[in-house]
Amino acid sequence: MSSSQSGVKPTTVVDSRGTMCPGPITDLFRAYRNASIGDIIELQATDPAAKSDTEAWARRSGNEIIAVIDEKDYLRIQVRIIKKGR
Amino acid sequence: MQQPSLNVVVVGGGSGGTLSANLLAKQLGDQISIGKASVHLVLGSQEHIFQPGYLHVAFAGQDPTEIVREERSLVNKNVHLVEEPAQRIDLKSQLVTLASGEKIHYDYLIIATGSVPNPKAIPGLSETSLNFHTSPEESRKIWNVIQKFDGGHVVVGIAGVPHKCPPSPNEAAFLIDDHFRKHGTRDKVRLTFLTPYPRPYPAEPMSRVVEPLFKEHAIEVVTFFNVESVDSTKKEIYSLEGESLSYDLLIMVPPHRGADVVINSGIGDVDGWIPADKNTMRITGYENAYAIGDATNIPVSKTGVTAHLQAITVSDNIVSAIRQRKDLYKYNGRINCPFEMGSGKAAFVVGSYDMPVKEIRPSRIGYMMKKGFAMFYWRTLSGSFDWLFGLYFGKTQTVESA
Repeated sequence: MSSSQSGVKPTTVVDSRGTMCPGPITDLFRAYRNASIGDIIELQATDPAAKSDTEAWARRSGNEIIAVIDEKDYLRIQVRIIKKGR
Repeated sequence: MQQPSLNVVVVGGGSGGTLSANLLAKQLGDQISIGKASVHLVLGSQEHIFQPGYLHVAFAGQDPTEIVREERSLVNKNVHLVEEPAQRIDLKSQLVTLASGEKIHYDYLIIATGSVPNPKAIPGLSETSLNFHTSPEESRKIWNVIQKFDGGHVVVGIAGVPHKCPPSPNEAAFLIDDHFRKHGTRDKVRLTFLTPYPRPYPAEPMSRVVEPLFKEHAIEVVTFFNVESVDSTKKEIYSLEGESLSYDLLIMVPPHRGADVVINSGIGDVDGWIPADKNTMRITGYENAYAIGDATNIPVSKTGVTAHLQAITVSDNIVSAIRQRKDLYKYNGRINCPFEMGSGKAAFVVGSYDMPVKEIRPSRIGYMMKKGFAMFYWRTLSGSFDWLFGLYFGKTQTVESA
């Protein structure tokens, strides 16, 4: 995983701040279903479980977390979609 | 249509809509009797279905007619029933347009149009998978099929998110396991639970309860499987993550979307969920329009209990406004989903905005409570038993007085 201070410009921003598990990962999956290869989805979440759930999903699915940015009150988790479907 | 001085329109006759209309009719009875207020309930269907009952129709052979009643029989006499569906809702003009073209003006609006199972969102799913979320008839098909099923790979799970009644896919796995055990065919059945989530139940504390029970019942689990498509010829199910699984019998909960009237009116997000305040249920940008239950984008489970508790809060707020009080009621996010785990035991998924879901183990008492509530359900819609809900749930809303 590479990360930068501010991340990169995402294709889609998914604002899940204020939702508890499984809200953020549910919102990420909704965005993943509509995403194309090369898209960057930024998941914004206050629930700390969002980071570990997204990391586990990215490992399993072969997608890439390119940045996790701590914004003090919430996390911005940026995922590059490099694998989707068969 | 001649309008009394203040008109409340409730769109949707499910749990939340029916209860809201009944509570308003009771609390505004004096105003209604002198023509100062009216409550209209706009129905999408003349039938009211006890949807948690689908599970027992599908997996325990319950008679489907037992979970359906005429909506008319459940509604307070002070409610004006509108027995045709809403076609359009215009929040700016405060108008609800019916299928006939007739328009009803409202002073206060509650949208309780629920969620719609959408199997067609996933290629091949509607042609192949049985499901127990669309109707009593579809649920009954599952019972008919599993009676004759003599062995093979049964795949049960979640085809897409979001969906109503979060525990229901897990409950289906437990109940179909029970069924095959009772019929002496469990050793001929491989049973797999498929989920997009990282664990057998999305909320970790309840997953800690489910996981060992799934192992004990020989229910295999495949996680991170967001269904992409189903090939009914090959009997293969494929995930967005690039995996596949073969099956002989497929029973998947389809992804859900918002109601047609919400989508057609352009008042929802891309999937038709209405943006609303999570405490007051006010639709974003509107002081006099509310959305409750499955219809909203509020980050809370899409369940009947949620709709019920939100109906209480919204009705209280509308009555408060009509009576020119300054009280503002706020729902606290309480959920309480019954969760059947086989062998005649059940737990509840309990949490709120400030209280993460707790770990609760299944018990016989939990099962009796679930069954008891199912019998009691029709009476709860009258709004006459909220004192009992108050005793059981404790505080589900706060009130601020300006």
